[in-house]
Amino acid sequence: MSAITLRSVVKRYGSVEVVHGIDLDVEEGEFVVLLGPSGCGKTTTLRMVAGLEDVSDGELSIAGRRVNEVAPKDRGVAMVFQNYALYPHMSVRQNMEFALRPLGLDAAEVDRRIQEAAGILGLGELLARKPAQLSGGQRQRVAMGRAMVRTPDVFLFDEPLSNLDAKLRTQVRLEIGKLHNRLGTTVLYVTHDQVEAMTLADKIVVMQNGHIEQVGTPEQVYAHPNNMFVASFIGSPSMNMIPARHEGGRLRAEGLDLAVPSRFEGKLPEGQDVVIGIRPTGLQRAEPGAADAVVARVEVTEFLGNEALLDIRVGDHELIAEIPAAGRPAPGDEVSLTFDPSVIHLFDPQTGATLSR
Amino acid sequence: MIFLLPAMLVLFLTTIYPMLYAGYLSFRSYDLAKPFVPRVFVGWSNYQQVLTSGDFLNALSITFQLMVITLSIQLVVGVGLALLVTQRLPGMGIARTLLLIPMMISPVIVGLVWLFLYFPELGYLNYFLSFVGLDPIPWITSPNWALWAIAIADIWQWTPFIMMGTAAALTSLSPEPYEAARIDGNTRWQVFRHVTLPQLKPVLVSLVFLRAIDAFKIYDIIFVLTKGGPGDSTEVLSLYIYRQSFTFWQMGVGAAASFVSLIIIVVLITLFFKSLNRDQTA
Repeated sequence: MSAITLRSVVKRYGSVEVVHGIDLDVEEGEFVVLLGPSGCGKTTTLRMVAGLEDVSDGELSIAGRRVNEVAPKDRGVAMVFQNYALYPHMSVRQNMEFALRPLGLDAAEVDRRIQEAAGILGLGELLARKPAQLSGGQRQRVAMGRAMVRTPDVFLFDEPLSNLDAKLRTQVRLEIGKLHNRLGTTVLYVTHDQVEAMTLADKIVVMQNGHIEQVGTPEQVYAHPNNMFVASFIGSPSMNMIPARHEGGRLRAEGLDLAVPSRFEGKLPEGQDVVIGIRPTGLQRAEPGAADAVVARVEVTEFLGNEALLDIRVGDHELIAEIPAAGRPAPGDEVSLTFDPSVIHLFDPQTGATLSR
Repeated sequence: MIFLLPAMLVLFLTTIYPMLYAGYLSFRSYDLAKPFVPRVFVGWSNYQQVLTSGDFLNALSITFQLMVITLSIQLVVGVGLALLVTQRLPGMGIARTLLLIPMMISPVIVGLVWLFLYFPELGYLNYFLSFVGLDPIPWITSPNWALWAIAIADIWQWTPFIMMGTAAALTSLSPEPYEAARIDGNTRWQVFRHVTLPQLKPVLVSLVFLRAIDAFKIYDIIFVLTKGGPGDSTEVLSLYIYRQSFTFWQMGVGAAASFVSLIIIVVLITLFFKSLNRDQTA
């Protein structure tokens, strides 16, 4: 039985439809990330699961029970908000107590749960403090603690790391991952940050404009994107996209002439327009004159430590290549690059869908 | 510096000089009816007369009674109205504007309006009461009712003030803690009691103190409605001072009473700032 099931779920505000009949299954204990750009409907979907927004159409079930009409408190969910949503006038302990109040537990049990959560999240020293006396990361841990003490069936996270600085984000991200491993509770997590999604998720749901574009493991959405949107949204820097044409077993574009990778042989009609997709790591330096090598001019070099990013120009196209930093070329140099055929993606320029299947 | 001079001059002539002069008078015997009698220094005797006078203590007690009645009702009704007008319901914008109107009216006019309503034989209120078969109420002619009649008029005028301040504070509260409380399943009352009210407290304290200082000075409405009567049942401090100074022409006693009431107000304000500071450090 799935922990959360969405069947043709629609959300409308007046006449404007923002979520267009999505289907999704979240299995028990799974960490599922809803990923997409701003306004793609991911937070709205999460809020529908929480019960903070009504479902306009379709069916939403939690633990096999239809919950469209069930009040938020009776859904067995707990939510962690982007801006923590702590009660500012209450101490850390009181924040957690207030969340437990509706459960009507006895004082000993309340204390036990708070101590347990505080132990797991390292909040022991902070129980008497008010939110204003805590750092952003501590506040987010309190928000998690407040969700945890209720021992919900499902944790909902709404962009919990967005208000934290980069370093803290990595740290809290790890903590969330550990917490999930430890508690094994089902998690539905919203973010626009693909690194969070890739590192935390068992399953990523990529959304755009109120539709689900792809559901899969991080490896699947990274290595086998369904379409150009998923391909360019996942991965940093983004996948390079080059419009090309299939001519006589070759993929040709301005300044580019590649053999069709063997996986696509026989699948592409002669003269078909395609979009070649290749990640920056799929472009590697080659000896000048090597087979299928492309000659490119380096415009900018970005040093990242072990790697360097090259902004290069091939014909009319600006591409990014990620190469080992040692011996990197200088801006203005000409380099030869090969496209690794095993990681070349081909997309239909009209529909954006992958031609890899 | 030179640009501050006109303002300083006005401040000096209208506030500082009269206050110093009142201070001077409060230690003198000064009968306005006997302009040619010298104003001799009498020490603390004016203060003694004020503080031992039954009339003064009665006025002080009535002032505080009125303050407690009006403030408590204004607070409860004002917060209730604020909760109502901040809901996303149709017509709330208009309701909010309409509810603010009483506050915009001059207190003398408010007194006159309520005088029409309270008027013993011809007043609208008793006329309406007769429709539901009730006996007329001696609103401003009975010592038992007069203070309540004044309180009602004051509540009508100043509840919007509490409402406006509270509504502004309510709209500035972040919505997420409420959503968190909804998911946790706390009842509306619990959320109001434990989430909303504590966050409103600093604002409510400010509003109540501002109103308390105003209520301490109440004059216009009472002057129009009852002039302190019947008997001295609605004689508040400012009316007492007025009577001493301009009815009995005892300017020295009036000045001493003014200073006593000034000290009470200063104590109130000090308490107010102390409580604000305590909130901030808590």
